[in-house]
Amino acid sequence: MSATEPTSLTVDQIRVDVADVLGEAPEDIPVDENLVDYGLDSMRIMTLVERWRRDHGVTASFVDLAEQPAIEAWAPLLGAAS
Amino acid sequence: MTTAPTAAGLKLTAAQSGMWFAQALDPESPAQNTAECLEIHGPIDPDVFARTLRQVVSEADALRVRIVEGTDGPEQLEISGLELPLHVADLRTSANPFSEAYAWMHADLAVPFGLAEGPLFAHALFRVGDDRWLWYQRVHHIVMDGFGYSLLARRTAEIYTALASGETPPDSPFGRLADLVEEDAGYRVSGTYDKDRRHWDGTFADRPEAPTLAGRTALPSRTFHRRSAHLSPLATDQLRELASSIKATWPEVLVAAQALYVSRATHTEEVVLGLPMMGRMGSVALRVPGMVMNVLPLRLTVTPYATFAELTRQVVLGIRAARRHQRYRYEDIRRDLGLLGEGRSLVGPLINVMPFDYGLTFAGARTEAHNLSAGPVEDLTVNVYDRTDGSGLRIDYDGNPALYAPDELALHQSRFLELLERIARTGPHTPLAAHTIARESELSLVLDEFNATARQVPATTLIGPIEDQAARTPDATALVFGDTHLTYAELNTRANQLAAHLIELGVRPGALAAVAVPRSLDLVVSLLAVLKAGGAYLPLDPDYPADRLAYMLADAEPACVIADRADRVPASGVPVVALTGLDTTSYTTENPAPGLTPQDRAYVIYTSGSTGRPKGVVVNHAAIDNRLRWMQHEYELGPGDRVLQKTPSGFDVSVWEFFWTLRVGATLVVAEPGGHKDPAYLARVIREQAVTACHFVPSMLQVFLTEPAAASCTGLRHVFCSGEALPRETVREFGRVLGPGVPLHNLYGPTEAAVDVTYHPCDTNGTGAVPIGRPVWNTRLYVLDAALQPCPPGVSGELFLAGVQLADGYLGRPALTASRFVADPYGAPGTRMYRTGDLARWTASGEIEYLGRTDHQVKLRGQRIELGEIEAELAKDASVGASGVLVREDRPGDQRLVGYVTPAAGAAHPDPEALRARLARTLPEHMVPVAILVLADFPLSPNGKLDRKALPAPEFSTTADGGRVPANHREETLTRLFAEILGVPRVGVDDAFFDLGGTSLLAARLVARVRDTLGAELTIGTLFQAQTPASLAAQLDAGNKESDHALDTLLPLRATGDRTPLFAFHPAGGISWCYSGLLSRLDTQQPVYGLQARGLHGDGEQLPSTMEEMAADYIEQIRTVRPHGPYRLIGWSVGGVLAHTVAVRLQEAGEKVELLALMDAYPSDQWQDSAIPAEADALTALLRMAGYDRTDELTREDVLATLHREGSALAGLPDATLSAVVDIVVNNARLMRAHRHRAFDGDLHFFTAAAPREEDWLTPDAWAPYLTGQLINDEIDCLHPELTQPGPLDEVCAVLAAHLKELDHA
Repeated sequence: MSATEPTSLTVDQIRVDVADVLGEAPEDIPVDENLVDYGLDSMRIMTLVERWRRDHGVTASFVDLAEQPAIEAWAPLLGAAS
Repeated sequence: MTTAPTAAGLKLTAAQSGMWFAQALDPESPAQNTAECLEIHGPIDPDVFARTLRQVVSEADALRVRIVEGTDGPEQLEISGLELPLHVADLRTSANPFSEAYAWMHADLAVPFGLAEGPLFAHALFRVGDDRWLWYQRVHHIVMDGFGYSLLARRTAEIYTALASGETPPDSPFGRLADLVEEDAGYRVSGTYDKDRRHWDGTFADRPEAPTLAGRTALPSRTFHRRSAHLSPLATDQLRELASSIKATWPEVLVAAQALYVSRATHTEEVVLGLPMMGRMGSVALRVPGMVMNVLPLRLTVTPYATFAELTRQVVLGIRAARRHQRYRYEDIRRDLGLLGEGRSLVGPLINVMPFDYGLTFAGARTEAHNLSAGPVEDLTVNVYDRTDGSGLRIDYDGNPALYAPDELALHQSRFLELLERIARTGPHTPLAAHTIARESELSLVLDEFNATARQVPATTLIGPIEDQAARTPDATALVFGDTHLTYAELNTRANQLAAHLIELGVRPGALAAVAVPRSLDLVVSLLAVLKAGGAYLPLDPDYPADRLAYMLADAEPACVIADRADRVPASGVPVVALTGLDTTSYTTENPAPGLTPQDRAYVIYTSGSTGRPKGVVVNHAAIDNRLRWMQHEYELGPGDRVLQKTPSGFDVSVWEFFWTLRVGATLVVAEPGGHKDPAYLARVIREQAVTACHFVPSMLQVFLTEPAAASCTGLRHVFCSGEALPRETVREFGRVLGPGVPLHNLYGPTEAAVDVTYHPCDTNGTGAVPIGRPVWNTRLYVLDAALQPCPPGVSGELFLAGVQLADGYLGRPALTASRFVADPYGAPGTRMYRTGDLARWTASGEIEYLGRTDHQVKLRGQRIELGEIEAELAKDASVGASGVLVREDRPGDQRLVGYVTPAAGAAHPDPEALRARLARTLPEHMVPVAILVLADFPLSPNGKLDRKALPAPEFSTTADGGRVPANHREETLTRLFAEILGVPRVGVDDAFFDLGGTSLLAARLVARVRDTLGAELTIGTLFQAQTPASLAAQLDAGNKESDHALDTLLPLRATGDRTPLFAFHPAGGISWCYSGLLSRLDTQQPVYGLQARGLHGDGEQLPSTMEEMAADYIEQIRTVRPHGPYRLIGWSVGGVLAHTVAVRLQEAGEKVELLALMDAYPSDQWQDSAIPAEADALTALLRMAGYDRTDELTREDVLATLHREGSALAGLPDATLSAVVDIVVNNARLMRAHRHRAFDGDLHFFTAAAPREEDWLTPDAWAPYLTGQLINDEIDCLHPELTQPGPLDEVCAVLAAHLKELDHA
């Protein structure tokens, strides 16, 4: 993987990244539930947006993700295949 | 120009309502102005900028409103014909364009908006350089929050950039205000709202104290102090790394650090911080620039042994839990908890983290955002901004000026920044105990500078200097006692001769000799003799109870006990030296030479321990010698001085009275035994004996100063106070009575440190708390926090003592000694410090202020209370002589603040209510005693201290007599619960809970009992709003529509609970409120329903014509809440017959009946020979239903009068119902007599009212034919009507509850 050629995101990778910023195990993070209940906050969304922008060329904004804080809802916004 | 949706006539959101009420409290206040300044580094076209702002405003409908008070509360209306409020100025010619611009902004910030007129925002654009611009905007907080600002700024940059290059800006990204309002309204009627409310009310049910750095609260002022500072870039980066290494964010790390700071600075483990939340996740509000933010309370426990990582984890999880319920409003939580009414805060400092750097560009020009005001500041708000320009985190401290002076704010801020730097350096896994909140400079101050007390003293003993003095001035007067006196030579000779006798008895260095001699010349001779023999003296106050003296003798095992007469002490096996009749004249008059060293014991004084067992404190010669040398240096006594010896010898103050005096050639005037408690005697002795120095315990000084003759004691050169906190008011009174010529000194020290370790000269014109002062020679004081880290000046902690004056320890208690005398981490290796258990703080000038005890901290309603503050306030009243306040716990767990005063001489008698009113004016409500008692004088302990245990308990009376009676079963239940919780016999429906001495602790219990008993949802907040049984019942009714049910056929007495419901059948009168007594006596999870007769509404409803018809009807009712069995049935009187009938019918229908309980009910055939009752009998039945036997009531009016007098709920029934009851009684009697029982298949639980009765034929055995199982009978010693009254019902329910429990577990 090179920095100039960002790979596209997968749902699994989203889960891994979300779990990472929450300090939880990926298997404990559901794809269909409100991530606020799992500790997701605006700071962490910003961290994810920046990470995904850098590593995967994602264009979704903070507001886009914060509006529907669930992995399932994010997948299309992040161009992720499941 | 606008196509955006309008916002006409919208309700306010809950968030806005909070702001609206805050503004309504002070309409002229500019506190709710928020403002921001964006600095633009590049060229700006002011016209394009103005066009840009017009477009942004047209898109942001939340901005374009004014707020008026409509008929249905405040509403927001769109302002028509809005002109853009924009001020443009070119300041390039100004000497200092920036200052001028900021001066303008700050002046603008002080202007309040008119909510009703609007607009609620304003703009300004300043040119401060050729390519430097400042864009300022001010917005009322009611229409905009911090996130809203960021939306506005981003859109402004976007439009400007487009317009500046001639392009069309992209479409508006903003959502509508109406969507916000709609979403908010939807939330408030949703299940989520209820869930959130329960979460917060549960989490804070105990209403924790929210410690603040100021230690008190105030309403927000119109303005605030701000101190801005930056964390170093290095520490900022380190903190970011630290955060990510423990899967936290840097704001969470900052919150944890602030929690650590607040915990240490307030000397509490539990802190509650306020976290402003943007509150927009998953909401339409993400696209609406408006007011949405909320403040959530975060409760944290900070212990020294946790690591910083663990504390941060607590923060992460705490915020996570809070976030799940983040839409519930801060104001609503406060209201629910009843904090609003008390003016109490829910949280301490706010940590407002603004993590987003806008990083905006205006047509390529970079910008920096500067917040100027983030809204009202209640206590302290720490605003943290992340800026990506490499300057490090900006950390602003905004403080309420009513609570924080600018320099205090700066101090907290600089300490916090230093703490952050240290945390950044040491990493996340360091225990919190390693961190101090003091700055480096403060550490050297409190550890070294304030403790620079080193002083060379010669190695002497307590007695050596006295022998030297006797040789120098043999003919000077050493002692005066009444008409007798001794010269130094006489005293020395007598002491030498007694010492020789004691040596023979085994008194020598290291040994103890007890002295049980009343105050007299002989007492002084005895003490000197023990020391001369080389021993340590153990004073036994002859006034102590015999068993205490016996305990001390057994515990200390002295070589002998010197007493004035042999029967002075209880027989103990210790040899008694009885002075009466003892002839020592044959002994040598020379000073003995026992080989005493400064390290030998000088005395052992017993102090009472918090554990109850008195313990002997062993003090050596070097310790007390240091103390006396310091005292002579500081106060310099000479041969002309006369010191009053009035302190009992068992109290260590007496040590300096005896020995300081005799070491320096002054005269000791020995007061009569008991004289120390008699102010008139003391004043006379001081005057007549020309006393120049004496000591008072502060409470005795208060008493002394009220003695008219005290004013003539102006010959005093030194008056010393110690033993208790010295109130400022007493110092002032001292100045008034004795004038400026008599110095007053406040000394402090525990017995464990050779009498006193601090001293403070009192200024009789001073204000504020009286310090206990600076350390004496060779003494170090430490104020340490829970982690044993030094507290900086102004921060309270526990006082520790170190230095030569420390006692050796406790006699024969190595473990106790080791726990109180611990290694001194700040002293030379091997040195010790003593843990005083006293709460104290350093002043900036290096004096100590005593703040109370750490172990008996006074806390009420979760709040720390300084009793001294209340006492001082009481003492200010002209009618008050002396004052004392304490927290009483006359009922376990029920703490109440009670004040005591004595009348001032020559003034009007104190009026308790007037005093309470006075206190209520100056003190917060929780500091106003619930009662103030006027006493002729205060009880004093043998040592002359205020004897708090001897203060009488107040009595609280109720107004139940003559008040209105309960109108329904809910009111009746509530009056009973009120009485039960308050511990009073009876409470009237209109008696207010808190007026009867209710406290919030009791309130919490009451709320729990009401919930359990009535199954009603209730918060403490409701109780604060509705404090009487009547109003509370009304509140509950409003929520539950209970009043409509009170006469329904099926009465849900307690509809909640997971057990099989119990159905209770009405007695003859048809009403089953009498069963409400079951609720508090059965498991709270046991639902109880009453069955009530048809026709109670008095609306002519047809009465049943057979018992079977009635039973069938009731079964239908029962099945509405429990369609199928098993069933549990109970009935009293006629209700028992009904229960049996219902049980049989249920069984016939194939249902299981697992409980049938009859309370003194007899089958129909027992009644068939007695006459059908007339109205008179119906009245009897009515009285019985209320629990009374009929005596001399003849008419319906008589019966009503009785019910009223006895406070029965039935008395509140309308006439139509009472009339119906009479009909029902008669009907039931007829139906019962006509009824034919069938057999119930199972056991029958029976409760007999076993007191002798007129109908002596009634017997439970009559049920035998109608029963296949056992008849289980319990006899309750009462009359039939008393069976549902508290005492008998306790017995019934004890049996019943046990049986229900068996069924539950079957």
